[in-house]
Amino acid sequence: MAEKDTKEIQTSEKEGIISDAVEKTAKAVEKEDKRSTPKINMVGDKKPSKIKLFDIVNYLVFILLALIIIIPIWKVVSDSFNEVGVYQFKLWPTKPTIGGYATIFTTTRLYRPFLNSVITTVVGTLVGLLMATLGGYVLNQYDMPGRSAFSYFLLFTMIFSGGMIPEYLVMKQLHLTDNMWILVVKHGMNVYNLVLMKNFFEGIPASLYEAAKLDGCSPMQIFYKIVLPLSKAALASIGLMFAVTVWNDYSTVQIYITNPDQVNFQYKLRVMIMDGDTPTTAYKVSQSTLYYAGIVCAILPFMAAYPFLQKYFVTGVNVGAVKE
Amino acid sequence: MSGKNEAAVKTRKKPLGLRIKNNIGFYLMFLPVFIFVLIIYYWPMLGIRYSFYSYKLRDIHWVGLEHFKNMFAAKEFWIAFKNTLIISIVKLLLNTFAAVLISIFLNEMTSLFCKKFIQTIIYLPHFMSYAVVAAIFTLFLSTSSTGMINETLKSWGWIDKSIDFLHTPSMWQPVFYIINLWKETGWGTVIFFATLSGISPELYEAAEIDGATRLQKMRYVTLPALSNTIIIVLILNLAKVLNIFEPVFVLYNNRVFEVSDVISTYVYRKTFLTAIPDYGYTTAVGLFKSMVGCILMLLSNFASKKVRGRGII
Repeated sequence: MAEKDTKEIQTSEKEGIISDAVEKTAKAVEKEDKRSTPKINMVGDKKPSKIKLFDIVNYLVFILLALIIIIPIWKVVSDSFNEVGVYQFKLWPTKPTIGGYATIFTTTRLYRPFLNSVITTVVGTLVGLLMATLGGYVLNQYDMPGRSAFSYFLLFTMIFSGGMIPEYLVMKQLHLTDNMWILVVKHGMNVYNLVLMKNFFEGIPASLYEAAKLDGCSPMQIFYKIVLPLSKAALASIGLMFAVTVWNDYSTVQIYITNPDQVNFQYKLRVMIMDGDTPTTAYKVSQSTLYYAGIVCAILPFMAAYPFLQKYFVTGVNVGAVKE
Repeated sequence: MSGKNEAAVKTRKKPLGLRIKNNIGFYLMFLPVFIFVLIIYYWPMLGIRYSFYSYKLRDIHWVGLEHFKNMFAAKEFWIAFKNTLIISIVKLLLNTFAAVLISIFLNEMTSLFCKKFIQTIIYLPHFMSYAVVAAIFTLFLSTSSTGMINETLKSWGWIDKSIDFLHTPSMWQPVFYIINLWKETGWGTVIFFATLSGISPELYEAAEIDGATRLQKMRYVTLPALSNTIIIVLILNLAKVLNIFEPVFVLYNNRVFEVSDVISTYVYRKTFLTAIPDYGYTTAVGLFKSMVGCILMLLSNFASKKVRGRGII
């Protein structure tokens, strides 16, 4: 069974099947894992010390690895609550305070970029999803004249681009420089995500469309009554991809925006840290406390959501990687 | 983007006019996408003509291939070109190698809970932006009394004087690679895990019966199963080697230009940090980058078709 699924992954052209196949295989492997565990122990009876040593070393190495990832993040969180800077290897605040966070959310030129980030991320994600779903849906209409022309029209942009400067000159003509909506314009149309969406839609059985068509549904009605409700998982994972991209974007702001009212939080944070610029504040906090609090604010939205949404985060990449 | 052509063949009997009329709804739905793509991708392509013009302030006049001559004569450009290739390729190889190593050993973990837990943790840094990661490490590596790493090393007596990691040319690249390993290795394992979950358990059982040890199984079953995916990952990323911008931009500074300046940062500096920029020149550099990128993309598409029978675009 598992072998058959593997073959499907490698050869199948009908890409819609693959995610199911991957899931099935993963489940099969999980089951197999549990079943084969005693077997490994049986082999282990012959040379128990060696196997045990391998496992111990393996676990230790991975614990170390996890610590390497976690300690910097933990250190940032811990220092963001520390009133005075303790810069040595101490992993717990010595003088706890929330002054850093209070400063950020009471200083206009710090919380405005945060709000800009929130607004552009929400709008950017919605626009991005709208474009990806519309485009993906239309590209799946194989009896529509001009379909392949449309797909070449989109795919060409993945091969060739005007480059940073011509793009800048166009956006300047459109009065989108010094304007935070540039983030939505830059990320709202993503051909790669559109193709992912198309692949997701291919998994929806054609008979459903036929039935809806016979019932007299227009293409638009089929789109929002059948296609979208059946693609919630795809919408979640691709929506997250858009959200992460827009929220984390720094270089677009660096290139296009100089007006401090329009910058996003990533940019503001970096400028604050690089220029050593700190606002005067009523709270007694050291400079670095404020910086670390800023960093936590910049990563918190996704760090908080991530453990619950990990499935969706990973699906997007797997589909992109395995299928495309 | 292949398949399902049969449907098209069936409907070909109907006249074209009727088919267009039947699909009018779909055309309307594609319209916003069409306009969006036209404006943000195709319109800028018209601007490529400035490569052959001098474009300073409002003065635009024809200069022919002048910019390309200047570009190929500029030492700075060649340094940037060399750095782009070195930084992107070393980063790609290191990250892929580390991701493969981690996937293979994590795959050996018998406890499923531990496996999931470690995966969750190592994916985390991917969701932090490069700006944030750079901010964290800039603070940690700082030479002032606020730099955690220097202070810790001093207190342990490993070093006497603070080391300025990010401002020393010989240190910058290694530090850059380490930071990138920290951020992206974990996420790089996702694709390898997808492949590993597809390996038939029978292969391991067969190897066991043949008396293979744990390490032998990893060497002769797991690794070969990953080889195709490794090649695909390398091919896919090869197409993008020239595009590197943000990871470098957030970590570099004027004291380490000779080892850190890449083409995109060179274009950025020449345009936005120059008093009177010549948009023509920087467009020309960008065009050179796009052309090479286009060739790389087509090459990797070709390679991908050879390896897995399916292109990347």
